[in-house]
Amino acid sequence: MKKKVRPAVIRTGIRIPLILWAIAVLYPIIWMFIGSLKSNAEIYSNPWGLPESFNFQNFIDAWTNYNIDTSVFNSVIVTVMGMFLTLVLALPTAYAIERIKFKGSGILFTVYISAMMIPMVLGWIPLFFLLMDFNLLDNLFGLAVVYAISQLPFTIFVLTSFMGTIPKELEESASMDGLSPYGILLRIITPLSTTAIITVSIMNAIQFWNEYFMALIFLQSRTNYTLGLAIDFISSEAQYTNAWGTLFASLTIAIIPVIILYAIFQKRIAKGMTEGAIKG
Amino acid sequence: MVQSKKQKYVFLAFCLVPTFILFSIFTLYPLFSGLYFSFFEWSGSSSNREFIGLSNYERLFQDKIFPRTILHDYFLVVTKVIGIMILAIFFAVALTQLKIKEAPFYRVVFFFPNIMSVVVIGILWTFIYNPSLGLVNSGLEFMGLGEWARPWLGDENWALPSLVLPSIWAGIGLFMLLLIGGISNVSKSYYEAAEIDGANEWQQFWKVTLPLIWPQIKISILYIVITTLNGSFIIVQIMTGGGPNNSTHVMGSYLYQQAFVQYNFGYGATIGVVILILSLITVLILQFLMKREKVQY
Repeated sequence: MKKKVRPAVIRTGIRIPLILWAIAVLYPIIWMFIGSLKSNAEIYSNPWGLPESFNFQNFIDAWTNYNIDTSVFNSVIVTVMGMFLTLVLALPTAYAIERIKFKGSGILFTVYISAMMIPMVLGWIPLFFLLMDFNLLDNLFGLAVVYAISQLPFTIFVLTSFMGTIPKELEESASMDGLSPYGILLRIITPLSTTAIITVSIMNAIQFWNEYFMALIFLQSRTNYTLGLAIDFISSEAQYTNAWGTLFASLTIAIIPVIILYAIFQKRIAKGMTEGAIKG
Repeated sequence: MVQSKKQKYVFLAFCLVPTFILFSIFTLYPLFSGLYFSFFEWSGSSSNREFIGLSNYERLFQDKIFPRTILHDYFLVVTKVIGIMILAIFFAVALTQLKIKEAPFYRVVFFFPNIMSVVVIGILWTFIYNPSLGLVNSGLEFMGLGEWARPWLGDENWALPSLVLPSIWAGIGLFMLLLIGGISNVSKSYYEAAEIDGANEWQQFWKVTLPLIWPQIKISILYIVITTLNGSFIIVQIMTGGGPNNSTHVMGSYLYQQAFVQYNFGYGATIGVVILILSLITVLILQFLMKREKVQY
């Protein structure tokens, strides 16, 4: 009898912190959605409660008066370009490192992987001048290139470990059939790696969509602002204009694509990130 | 594969060279070049770049703010490691050992902040700490602890500790999942054996679970330390900008201010070199300290 009561008590006892933490995570996010539907006056009078009525004026304001439309467009451009570039650069390298025997392949892999642990903030100063020399400063393509290279080590890491699981026989028989190594890479390896390519691309896309600091350094004009910069700008302006509703609306716009991706690919994202951490 | 040596090398070059050249230009070159810049006094225009040897490094020692930024960095490292590890271990054990039906819900929810933008996290938490509207102060007043209410991010003593909670909030899910992975690899027979020996749940946790997930704990700690030293300045920049009165500046945000706000690029690079050296040393020391052998039963 005693044995049965105790675990039940412990179980409820342990549930309490779990529930509290779940509230701590969800409440600010839900509150942000609610805030985006409130008028500024209501945010002041009743900051943490439910809205009296739903109005989408904040979204319209953010979209038209605060140039969020341009920033969304810029963020999409940078994210898509960055994602594509990362793949184009990482796929051949990952294949060569994983499947072709050559001197120094181990060293090359180590160089890429150790770049994942190095604080890049030192490199950002010379990179700033480098981009200036290349005429890529304050340029969305320049930022996409910088993003792509920054995610290269992680992408190579994920792709090599996945390609290791593809059976070698497939390449051998393709080569017997007269397919060149270029053909094997393009027609055999790339399609077979689709799972890994999707996982790594989603994670890169989220990374680029969310990125703030490199954009802060390498972009300057407001027409080039990505979402993070635009929101930060609205946030610092809101200290004076009190346009909190607009700020919440733009935060909501920034987070919705991430929530959608997470809803669809939750397992892959979680798995990809934990595996990325384990190599560390 | 039937192909000549030459063909093989051409293919290898096709695969490796373009990527490596870009990687060298955008990652390797800037790092070395940053080291080189640290020996110059330089405000950005190419004409007035002056070699000054180690003067920037000497200046670091006279700088009244810089030593504080190092302390702030390590304050965040220590508090984050302790906070995240205690909570992540607790949640991981709770979700695996207690067979709760809604466990997947918690996993999905707790992990989500890991993929949120730091901008969103920073702005949300700035609101939570807002002196008049914020959740923290309203909550304290609600509980009758009104005298505890303060402008958290505007208070020199409280601003830095206030940054710890958002960082833990944002980071915990990943490490919880990492530890869950470790725990589910522990064979059930160990727990059965421990139970036969009369060990209670608490003893089982200390003697079985903890030693067996030590590799995951080690990785988590290392990862928290690295990401904090390399990236804590982002949340600082968004939530406080290093203020009030430099009380929250960490090395990275101070570098940003020196280089990109005040245009002391040489001095900024010097700070960057110190960040690089300190984080490498910290990781090496940690790896040495945690070199506890894998437990095998």
